[in-house]
Amino acid sequence: MSLDRLYLDLLDEAPVAPPSGGRARLLATAAARRRPAATCVAWARPYAGRVAAMDAVFASATAWDVEIVEGWNLQELLGHLMAKDGLVAAAVGAPVHGPPITDDEPMARTAAVHDHERSRSLLETRRSWRDQADALCHALSGADPARMITPGGLPLPVGDQLLGRALETWIHTHDTAVSEGLHLPKPTAEELHPMADLCARLLPATALLSGLDLGDRSIRLTLTGDGGGDWHLPLAPGRPASGYGGQQVALTLRADAAEYCFVLGGRGAGYTWEAEGDQALAADLRAAAPALSGP
Amino acid sequence: MDDHLFHRRVVSGDESALGELYDRFSALLYGLALRVTRDRVAAEDITQEVFAAFWERPLGFDPARGSLRTFLATVAHRRSVDHVRSEERRRVGALAPRLFERPHDLEEGVVAADEIKRVREAVAGLPDALRQVVELAYYGGRTYREVAVEIGVPEGTAKSRIRLALRRLAETLNEEAL
Repeated sequence: MSLDRLYLDLLDEAPVAPPSGGRARLLATAAARRRPAATCVAWARPYAGRVAAMDAVFASATAWDVEIVEGWNLQELLGHLMAKDGLVAAAVGAPVHGPPITDDEPMARTAAVHDHERSRSLLETRRSWRDQADALCHALSGADPARMITPGGLPLPVGDQLLGRALETWIHTHDTAVSEGLHLPKPTAEELHPMADLCARLLPATALLSGLDLGDRSIRLTLTGDGGGDWHLPLAPGRPASGYGGQQVALTLRADAAEYCFVLGGRGAGYTWEAEGDQALAADLRAAAPALSGP
Repeated sequence: MDDHLFHRRVVSGDESALGELYDRFSALLYGLALRVTRDRVAAEDITQEVFAAFWERPLGFDPARGSLRTFLATVAHRRSVDHVRSEERRRVGALAPRLFERPHDLEEGVVAADEIKRVREAVAGLPDALRQVVELAYYGGRTYREVAVEIGVPEGTAKSRIRLALRRLAETLNEEAL
């Protein structure tokens, strides 16, 4: 209403400063009400940010017993995230929360965490999940992001493992928000770009995993919007991705960066890619893209 | 300063975003709460609580439905009205606990019902040149540029007239209230 805006504008012209010390008091209170993102090395920040976002969705969640995804309610979903975070934690030498790891296959580990959490309250599970995530973040200060590890049998460098955890946490935070009827904002561009970069670099692997023989061709991938970028992606195994620099390509794909991440994460059924060039190749790549997504 | 970006940063658990929001809006919210409660301690507590609650549950705000400033001010106003009512109840005592109960929907928005009358009277009392720009910009929903075109002055002149009018209005209301 027009009078609201007038009233706030005129109050802005005659501000009344609150007593000093309020800012520090607020930050202390706020941290106790919802934990800020864990302090961590720059390359783990997208993960720390998505963990804090999951906590924010949790804070507004009310339907604690409904199925969100994969037959899991909120407690089981947090247990699943905690299980997979714990596998990465074990691989980097960070503390593992929940029961000791006896089987590092992700679904077996998830089942073990579910068994352990079943007798606990949802709030206790929330705390354990968050403690696991923060412990992982804190343990990375001296870690080499390029070191190869294979938690749960997935061989990727530590840095990419963390981006993978960020992506999965984001996807399941989105699942929870949808289930609760909440609107989850996108990550900031700084958080989104490294996740989009991971998803760009993984595209050839999704094709390979789907049994496509794509030959010695390459494509250009242009991701638009916040966190986007421009990649040159050779499709033959073992040839690394790079920034696009005018190379000849068989196909150019264009998509929104956040939507593209959701396609790779198995939540992009409604999203299309703009394709210029080999349309059959574009259709094959689009169909194969969710191949790495799982529970 | 972009509401969407602030919202994303707060959802991502970025404490520095909360600090920046405090720097930007605390004087507005404190002033608003003080006008309603006439109580500095209560106004400070309300200001703290509005920011802390937004931090704890940032998904209660949807940038598609309005500005962050209006959202925070609406919460501050509602809490201030609640404070005044519970103080009134406390003074009246348990004998008439329902005397002052009024449904919230009569008090939605950021301006108290009695304050609306004062604001309208203050606008009516402005010199013509200032009253005209305020009426066009706020009652008529015109942009600065549209106001400038309508009254035939440069945009900068329209803008500074509006700011002068806002300061006059704030002074008038402060003289009456505080």
